[in-house]
Amino acid sequence: MNDRIVFEDVSKVYGEILGVNRVNLSIPPGITSLVGPNGSGKTTLMNLMTGLVRPTRGRIQVLDCRIDDPEDLFKVVGYSTQFDAFPKGLTGYQFIYSFLRLAGREADSAKRLAWRAIERVNLMDAAKRNMAGYSKGMRQRIRLAQALAHDPKVLVLDEPLNGLDPLARSEMIALFRATAAEGCYVIISSHILHEVDVISDQVILLSNGYVVAEGKIQNVRSEIQEHPTQILIRCDRPRELAAKMLEYEQTIEVAIHKDERGLLLKTRDADRLYLTLNEMALNGIDIESIAPADDDVLSVYEYLIGSEEVVR
Amino acid sequence: MKSLWWAQVKAVIRLEMRKTFFARRGLWIYVVALLPVLLFIALAVVSSNHRAKMASMAGREERPLTYQDMQAIKPDMTKEEVIAILGKPPIVFHWTDHRPGPDPSGPAEEVARESYRYSDGQNDLILGLANGKVDSINIHEGLDVGQDSVVFAGVFQFFFLRLAVFFGCLGIFMNLFRGEILDRSLHFYFLAPVRREVVMAGKFLAGVLATCTIFATSVVLQTIAFLWHFTPAAREIYLYHNHGLEHAAIYLGVTVLACVGYGAFFLVAGMLFRNPILPAAAILIWEGINPFLPAVLRHFSVIYYLKSLCPVDIPTPPGTPALFALLVSNSDPVSAPIAILGILVVALIALYVSSLQVRRMEINYSTE
Repeated sequence: MNDRIVFEDVSKVYGEILGVNRVNLSIPPGITSLVGPNGSGKTTLMNLMTGLVRPTRGRIQVLDCRIDDPEDLFKVVGYSTQFDAFPKGLTGYQFIYSFLRLAGREADSAKRLAWRAIERVNLMDAAKRNMAGYSKGMRQRIRLAQALAHDPKVLVLDEPLNGLDPLARSEMIALFRATAAEGCYVIISSHILHEVDVISDQVILLSNGYVVAEGKIQNVRSEIQEHPTQILIRCDRPRELAAKMLEYEQTIEVAIHKDERGLLLKTRDADRLYLTLNEMALNGIDIESIAPADDDVLSVYEYLIGSEEVVR
Repeated sequence: MKSLWWAQVKAVIRLEMRKTFFARRGLWIYVVALLPVLLFIALAVVSSNHRAKMASMAGREERPLTYQDMQAIKPDMTKEEVIAILGKPPIVFHWTDHRPGPDPSGPAEEVARESYRYSDGQNDLILGLANGKVDSINIHEGLDVGQDSVVFAGVFQFFFLRLAVFFGCLGIFMNLFRGEILDRSLHFYFLAPVRREVVMAGKFLAGVLATCTIFATSVVLQTIAFLWHFTPAAREIYLYHNHGLEHAAIYLGVTVLACVGYGAFFLVAGMLFRNPILPAAAILIWEGINPFLPAVLRHFSVIYYLKSLCPVDIPTPPGTPALFALLVSNSDPVSAPIAILGILVVALIALYVSSLQVRRMEINYSTE
């Protein structure tokens, strides 16, 4: 029994264009974000794991399913693609209902599941309208409803928050979290890093078809030794603390925070620095909080790739 | 599992039928299917008018004539002899003609010409008289179901099967996959827990249902229009005593088989080729040159089997160009069971290739 989504040495080439190259991944349950700029291989990776495209080399397995067996694969996988086209002449409800009938559901069950999925994406009011008149956000939500409708164990979502207003975004993020909390695999692609930061349990960083890092974001950050760790220290006397910290060899750089209520400190040995700070606290400086300042996806991505294509 | 597949096939058919029947880009298929109906309606209108004119002419004659009366007229009979047999003509034209005299340098000779027209209500007799003697006899035979059934067979084989059904199937079956790739909506099917072969089977059956409905309706309407202008008695004789009903049923069956055969061809062509014009032209040429091919190659064609099933042979009168005669004739027909089996085997081969192709298909709209 395989409980992972596994890529083994997977490459995909479109003619002379490289989609992804030598990808090895083992994706656990929870929310996993594929992060990278346009053209980095996020959609190719998603299309590969759903069998819409076949690997040029390598092997992919989604839990216990082979990707060339859609009958089994899509019992456990729901995929919300970026393709913004639908069968013509259908209402949102008919779209989901037809999908469920196609999946072999009886009429009553399909009807019930279709309404439930539409309700989950909060599209009840527009469900009976022809999809040709849907806004971008509505189309995004009906695609999500299609992906969710048959209760898949693996939810693959390509840029799922595109076109949604802030309220809808937070609703969808809550939905992804709830789905992941049920033990599902939620794979999300995004080039908007602050969203990824908020929702991901783990990230896969992609650049030009290569996986440059994967895992929990903090773990990924700690593995990047060449960049000093940046720590934000909130305290009552930041200037005094800064002067003292400069005396320690593990301190590389200190800067007073712009609000004058803390300092930003760079070090190559965070563990020793934390011990030193404990001593300072015992010596009368009131330290409110200590937190890493650069273990977010944006910082990690910039350290690893140095790209400015990602959106903050 | 098989009941699940059947349920999925029905789900695909339901989705496809909506698109196939009501697609705006498929309107031309209805027009093509209705063209022969319009042709037979026009023929019926013209024939009815002609019959009304002849009936009116027959009503103005001194006495009712029979076909034998009209055949009794021989060349060189005098005007008086003609009138003695047929009575005074209801329509007469007189004019004077000039022709060279025995001496070419002398004056031209005057000829008093007349044209008499008679009718027995169905057939038309036109007599030409020169100086009071019959010099030409033309009997225009009127409406005859037997002759019109040959016209029907010609229209069916050369327009309906080879063009209307051919291009109609092209329009519908080529678009089953290719159209959705161009619309970027094919992934809808490929994201469902359904075997791709089941999707293909559902799409094919939807295409067969749609084309059979459109073209079988056309055949029924053509038959009605073709028989419309005959008398009830003539219709009854044709339908119940001269194999008319049997022929109509065979034409319907041939239409269904044509939809299955061409449909399977175009389904696989739509998967293999991006541009439908090239395979369509290739298949059209292949079907067109079928009579000129060696016997072995002739079997790999739909029209070869369809021609063998058609109930009425189209006669080739003496003097018909050899190429045209070869095109019209069916020199090497096969029996009906073999013809039906042949089309089904050709279709199954095409469907097998389609099933292999659909399993390999990738969704990569950007390259289309």
